[in-house]
Amino acid sequence: MSTLTAPDQVPNQAPDSRTDTPGKKRSKNYRGVSPALRAESNIIRSIGVFLLWAVVAVSIAMLLWMVLQAFRDTRSILSSPWGMPESLDFSNFVRAWTVGDFATATFNSVITTAVSSFITVALAAPAAYYLSRVESRLTNGLSLYFILGLGIPAQVILIPLFVMLNKVYLTDSLIGLNLVYIAGSMPFTVFLLTAFFRSLPMEMEEAAALDGATALRTFVQITLPLAKGGILTAFVLQVVAHWNETLLALTLIQSTEKYTLPVALISFVQQQTYSGADWGGLFAGLCIVVLPMLAIYIWLGRRLTEGLTLGMGK
Amino acid sequence: MSRTTTRRSLSAAAAAERGQGGSSIDRQRRKLLVPFVGPAFIVYTLLFIIPAIGAAWISLHEWAGSGPMKFVGVKNYIRVFQDDLFMKSFGNTLLLLFVVGAAIFILAFAMTLVLRDMAGKKIVRNVIFFPHLINALVFGVLAGFIFNPGGMVNTLLKPFGVTEPPAWLAQDNIFPLIMATLVATTTGYFTTILMAGVDRIPPYYYEDCALAGANAWQRLRYVILPLTWDVFGTCAVLWTISSVKIFEIIWVFGGSSGAGIPPTQSWTTAVYTYVTAFSGQSTPAYGAATASAIISLALVSVLVVFLRRAMRRDAVEF
Repeated sequence: MSTLTAPDQVPNQAPDSRTDTPGKKRSKNYRGVSPALRAESNIIRSIGVFLLWAVVAVSIAMLLWMVLQAFRDTRSILSSPWGMPESLDFSNFVRAWTVGDFATATFNSVITTAVSSFITVALAAPAAYYLSRVESRLTNGLSLYFILGLGIPAQVILIPLFVMLNKVYLTDSLIGLNLVYIAGSMPFTVFLLTAFFRSLPMEMEEAAALDGATALRTFVQITLPLAKGGILTAFVLQVVAHWNETLLALTLIQSTEKYTLPVALISFVQQQTYSGADWGGLFAGLCIVVLPMLAIYIWLGRRLTEGLTLGMGK
Repeated sequence: MSRTTTRRSLSAAAAAERGQGGSSIDRQRRKLLVPFVGPAFIVYTLLFIIPAIGAAWISLHEWAGSGPMKFVGVKNYIRVFQDDLFMKSFGNTLLLLFVVGAAIFILAFAMTLVLRDMAGKKIVRNVIFFPHLINALVFGVLAGFIFNPGGMVNTLLKPFGVTEPPAWLAQDNIFPLIMATLVATTTGYFTTILMAGVDRIPPYYYEDCALAGANAWQRLRYVILPLTWDVFGTCAVLWTISSVKIFEIIWVFGGSSGAGIPPTQSWTTAVYTYVTAFSGQSTPAYGAATASAIISLALVSVLVVFLRRAMRRDAVEF
């Protein structure tokens, strides 16, 4: 009814209904929202809501369960998979850290992820800026050229890369792996940042140009500070991608002391075929892979989801 | 989206107004081509595009990685298509692409519809997105624990009188389990993207629906679907690209991979490529391995072009 009597209220109410904070505030808003926006309460819907919350509960429980199991020894994990750790026992982590070579692997992963993500963004940002600001047939072609890479699966470049890097002694080398990661991330990062730079207002840059700043100075002093958010998003997305990358690392790295975490995890799993299952150590290893991502997600979660959905939204 | 297009057309109009040469800032910017785009271009060309072209070249040769390359034309392609292992892997990739893809889309869309106006939307969305940030290896290893004979699923089933549960991790059962795991872990990501699309629909469309007396189905059919059509297209392209790459989860699924190679029943083309080239168990056949990779690339290209054609036509501006 409110739609008929006061149409101008609708835009005011719309944001409210979207920024639904759970609990009291929500239920207060509920009556104010027009009937069209109110959820129908039928049985299918209630089942759906129930199932969704069940999914949420199970997901959180799984994560918690995995972390808790990492504090129990293999025998008690196997005898009662639902049990709780009796004490805060870090021996699994110690064993994974020392015997499973997770220490060096973690170090390698941290270095590789940080370096390759940083250089990726450092190279992609200027390129994306140029592609977003200059309109010509050449830049359109270049944009297309970069986007092309999005569709090429990693296994296509795997073998030629191995052959090429082998020629210049960059296989089994973290430098080689970094270079490959940087090149492989170029399509997505250039694509994302081009979209982001396009969304920035041009007026500030024009003002800077009128004040006599060179194009380079405008980019460094005006655009980059404005684009901090987008660049951070691109960086974090690359951190996630490089931290988890497996196929290329598995192919290009052979010696244990250069393993990154996913490769170390695979070799740890495969050792168990010979040395018997060490579920405690394995759970500790899984925690070392997952928990840093959880930390990043809690810290910068909104950037991640927005970056991924914005990057995809066109 | 619409803002970007208007801004671009504005700047294009402005450029036209200024004439062919452009303003001084434009001219200055143009000089930055080499220093700005150069480094990215070189790295990307050298370590991505050239290897991709190299792959097409290698796939036409018989080559063991070292020694002479023998040109054999399309023989490698004929060879892999006659190879039962490849056909199995290719079939599995298609299963992932279409069956898992369909399941993910139906579930993600259903979840989006429920989530759209439910209390606690943000919490749910944040939780279901998280698996996307985890290496699929983790799910593979966990599944091995959950489904092993004394594992969680069987202890859960015992109270219900299931004393002889199926051998979950038997070689023939692994692939369906992988498919189920992938649906469970990937749906959240696509739900998040679809949600972003559905959230963009201005609320007055729903008001109009209510005034017109549209029921839930009509609202879905005539408002939500047409207005999120392009997001669906993007998601379909994304899934096509990412499903062909699936490797890690298969590599460790169940942790039962014996000699380090998963059972052939669960191979995908990515696994086929890797094993054929790097397993170290037989002479590496780089030609056949790259041929398999090129076939997956062709599959992606055809599907992406097709999807673009099929989904593009009626993108509604709002």
